[in-house]
Amino acid sequence: MFKKILLATTGSTASFGAARVAFDMAKRYGSEVTVFHVLGVPTKAYSQIVNDVRTGEEVEVDEDYRSWVEEEIRTTYAKQLEGLDNVRIILTTGVPSREILREARSIDADLIVMGASSGNSANYYRGYPGSTFQKVAKAAGCPILTVHRESASYWGGFSKILFGTDFSKQSLSAFLFALKTARELDCELTIFHALDISGKVLDQNEIEENLIAVRERIRSTYSPLMGDFKNYDIEVWEGAPYVEIVKLAREKQVDLVVLAHHTRELDPEKARIGSTVEQVIVRANCPVVSVSKPEKV
Amino acid sequence: MPEGKICNKQPINTVEQLQLTLADKSGIKYYEEMEHLDVDTDKLWASIQKTMKSRTKTWLEICAHCGLCAESCFLYQVNGKVPTQVPSYKIQSTLGEMVKRKGKVDNAFMRHAMEVAWSQCTCCNRCGMYCPHGIDVGVMFSYLRGLLYSQGFVPWELKIGSGMHRIYRAQMDVTQEDWVETCEWMAEETEEEWPGLEIPVDKKDADIMYTCNAREPKHYPEDIAEAAILFHVAGENWTVPSEGWEQTSLSMFAGDWECCKDNVQNVYNAIERLNPKRCIGTECGHAHRATVIEGPYWVGREDGLPPRPYIHYVEWLAEALRTGKLKIDPAKRIKEPVTLQDSCNYVRNHGLKMITREIIEYIVEPGYFVEMSPNREHNYCCGGGGGFNGIGKFRPQRNVALRKKMEQIIDTGAKLVIAPCHNCWDAIRDLEEEYHIGIRWSFLKPLIISMLEVPEHLKPKEEE
Ligand code: SF4
Ligand code: SF4
Ligand code: SF4
Repeated sequence: MFKKILLATTGSTASFGAARVAFDMAKRYGSEVTVFHVLGVPTKAYSQIVNDVRTGEEVEVDEDYRSWVEEEIRTTYAKQLEGLDNVRIILTTGVPSREILREARSIDADLIVMGASSGNSANYYRGYPGSTFQKVAKAAGCPILTVHRESASYWGGFSKILFGTDFSKQSLSAFLFALKTARELDCELTIFHALDISGKVLDQNEIEENLIAVRERIRSTYSPLMGDFKNYDIEVWEGAPYVEIVKLAREKQVDLVVLAHHTRELDPEKARIGSTVEQVIVRANCPVVSVSKPEKV
Repeated sequence: MPEGKICNKQPINTVEQLQLTLADKSGIKYYEEMEHLDVDTDKLWASIQKTMKSRTKTWLEICAHCGLCAESCFLYQVNGKVPTQVPSYKIQSTLGEMVKRKGKVDNAFMRHAMEVAWSQCTCCNRCGMYCPHGIDVGVMFSYLRGLLYSQGFVPWELKIGSGMHRIYRAQMDVTQEDWVETCEWMAEETEEEWPGLEIPVDKKDADIMYTCNAREPKHYPEDIAEAAILFHVAGENWTVPSEGWEQTSLSMFAGDWECCKDNVQNVYNAIERLNPKRCIGTECGHAHRATVIEGPYWVGREDGLPPRPYIHYVEWLAEALRTGKLKIDPAKRIKEPVTLQDSCNYVRNHGLKMITREIIEYIVEPGYFVEMSPNREHNYCCGGGGGFNGIGKFRPQRNVALRKKMEQIIDTGAKLVIAPCHNCWDAIRDLEEEYHIGIRWSFLKPLIISMLEVPEHLKPKEEE
C-alpha cells in the first residue's frame, strides 16, 4: 500500500526524522522512494536565480549547483540509502508546496512524507502565505505522513495505530486509511474521539451520557466497515481534541496517529490555532498521517 | 571574432541552442563572447534608415536639452541625480549617437548602449508626460533595444526569454501539453470545494476567452484556479485556448520584434479559432501591453485593435462587482491600511487608473485605502519593469531601482500592497526580500475570493 513514497525534504534538520521514517518504511515494505527537494523559490522573472532554501542566499541554479545539492543529499542520507535500490533524487525549483503536489500527482504517490512545518528554515517559506504543510495537506490526493521529532518512536515498524475522528467526511477517508494500514501491517487500531466540552457547562451525568452516545456513534459509524477485522478498541475521552490525542498516544505507545485534515484556512497563523492536525504533529512522539481525500486510501 | 557560439546575432530558435545558452552559468561565457562581437555597421545603418519612424527622428532633433524630464525619472532620483541618468541624456548618448554616426559605432559603444538600455530605463514612459515636447524616452528605448538585439547586444536572460517565446511560445518552457495538463490539475484540485467548477479548454463561441502569463502554469497554478473560481461564481461562460494561451512578451523587452509578432499572432489565431465574444487577460501589465496595446500594430491590424474586445483582468473584475455577478461580504472587507500599485503598463499606457480604484471601493472598508504619492498615471515604476527584474547582470542596479517604490510604500504606512500585475508583484516581493520593510503583497484574485458572498447553491454540501 506504500508502493510509491514521495519524501519531501528541506535539507534542514527538521526533515531528518521524516527521512528516517520514509527510508525505514521503504526497506520494510519494499517501496519506491522519490527524494524530492525544491531548490528554492524562483525569484526574478525568467532568470535561474533562486534563494537557496538553507542559507537564504541568492544562488544560480546550474549544473554545478544541482550536482552539489544532490551530493549533499546523498551524503546526508548515506546510511539510509544503503541497500535501497529503488530511490530517485529529484531536484526542482518552484514554490515548495506546489512542486510537492505536482510531483505527487505525476508519480501517483501513495504517501507523501515530509518534515513538520514548524522548525523548518524560515527562508523556505518566506513571502508565501500558508505553510507548506497546510497547502499540501489541503490539496493532496494521498495521505501525508509528518514527523516532527527525530526521536519519534517507530523502531520496529508500526504495530499500534491511533485514529482520531471528528465524524467529518474527511474523517471517513482517514478511517479507511487507518483500517487498511492496520490490516495490512497487522496492527492494533484504536478509534478515538475527544468530546470537546470547552465552553459548555455540563454536569457529570450529562457528560457521561454524552460519552456513551459518542461510543455508540463510533460503533454504528465504523463497525460496519470493519468486516472481519477484530483487533481494535474504542476510546472516548473528554477534553480538547489535540491534547487528548497526544495523551492517549503516549499512554498506549502508539506508532502512528491518523487524522483527517480539513482546515480550509491557509493563513498559517489562523490555521495553527484551529488545526488539530498541526497541534498533534508538533506534540506527538510518533509520526502523524493526515488524510483529506478518499482517492488514495 | 565576428560571432560567438552563444552570443551572436542569431535569435535562439532551437532547443539545442536554448540549452547551450542556459548552460552558460550567469552568462559568463556569453558576455565574454560579447566583448568580441563585431558590429555590422552597414546593416545597422540600413536598419535605422528603414525602421526609424519620423516621430523618433523628430524627437531626437527637437529635444531642447532643457532637463525638465530629469526629475520625472525614478532612476535619476534614486541614483543620486547624476546627469547620466537624465532621460534625454540617456537616449541622446545612445540612440542619438548611433544615428548621428550613421551606424558607425564599435563594440564598446554597443555594450555601453546595452547597459543603458536595460539598466537605466524600464520603458515605464513616465518621462514622456513631463517633457514639454512630449518626447517619450521609454518609447525610444524600446526602439533602441530592437537595434541592439538584432546585433546580438542583449542581456543573456532576455536572449533566453525571447528564445523561450520562439520555441515554446511562452516565456518559460511550458509546452501546450503542460498547459492543458495544468488546467486539468487545477480543476481537479478545486472542484471539491467548488462543485461544478470547470476549466474548459478550447470551447467554441464562449463569452470569454481567458489568457494568462506563463509564470502562472509554471510556478503559481493556483492563479488559474482562482480565475476559474471567480468565473464560476460569476456564472461566466468561459474557456481557455490550448494554444495561444500565453499573453506575455519578454520578446518585447528583449527587442525581438519578429518574435513579438509571432506570439501575438498566435493568440489572435486562438481568438479566430474559438470565436469568443471577448477576451480577458490575467493580472499582468506587460502582457496587456503586448497583446492589447501594441500587439495589433505588430501584426498589422488596421484598426489597431485585437480581433475581439480584449480587456485586462481589473476591467472584468470591476464589471463583475458593479453588476453584482460577484458580491462582497461587507464584513470581510479589508480593515487595515492598504495601498495599490499602479502598473505603468496598463495605467499609464492604457488609462486604466480609475477601474482599480472602483474595485478598491468594493473590497476595502472606507478609510483604509491609502494612495501612494504620486499615483495613477503619475505613479513610479515598481523598479523592475521592462525586463529589469530578470537580468542577473544588472541586479545591483535593479535593487537600487526598487528604492523609489520602497519609499512610496513606507510613506503610506500600509503593510499590504495590492499589485494586480505579475511583474510588479515580483518586484515588490523582491523589494521585501532585499530591504525587509515588513510588507505583504497580493493579487486581487485571492483577496476577492476570501471575501466573496457565495450563493448557497455553489457551496459544497457540508456534512458535519
Ligand atoms: S524634457 Fe523633453 S526636451 Fe527637455 S531634455 Fe527632456 S526630453 Fe529633451
Ligand atoms: S521611460 Fe521611465 S525609466 Fe525610462 S527614462 Fe523615462 S522615466 Fe526613466
Ligand atoms: S512592472 Fe509594473 S510598475 Fe514596473 S514597469 Fe511594469 S507595469 Fe510598470
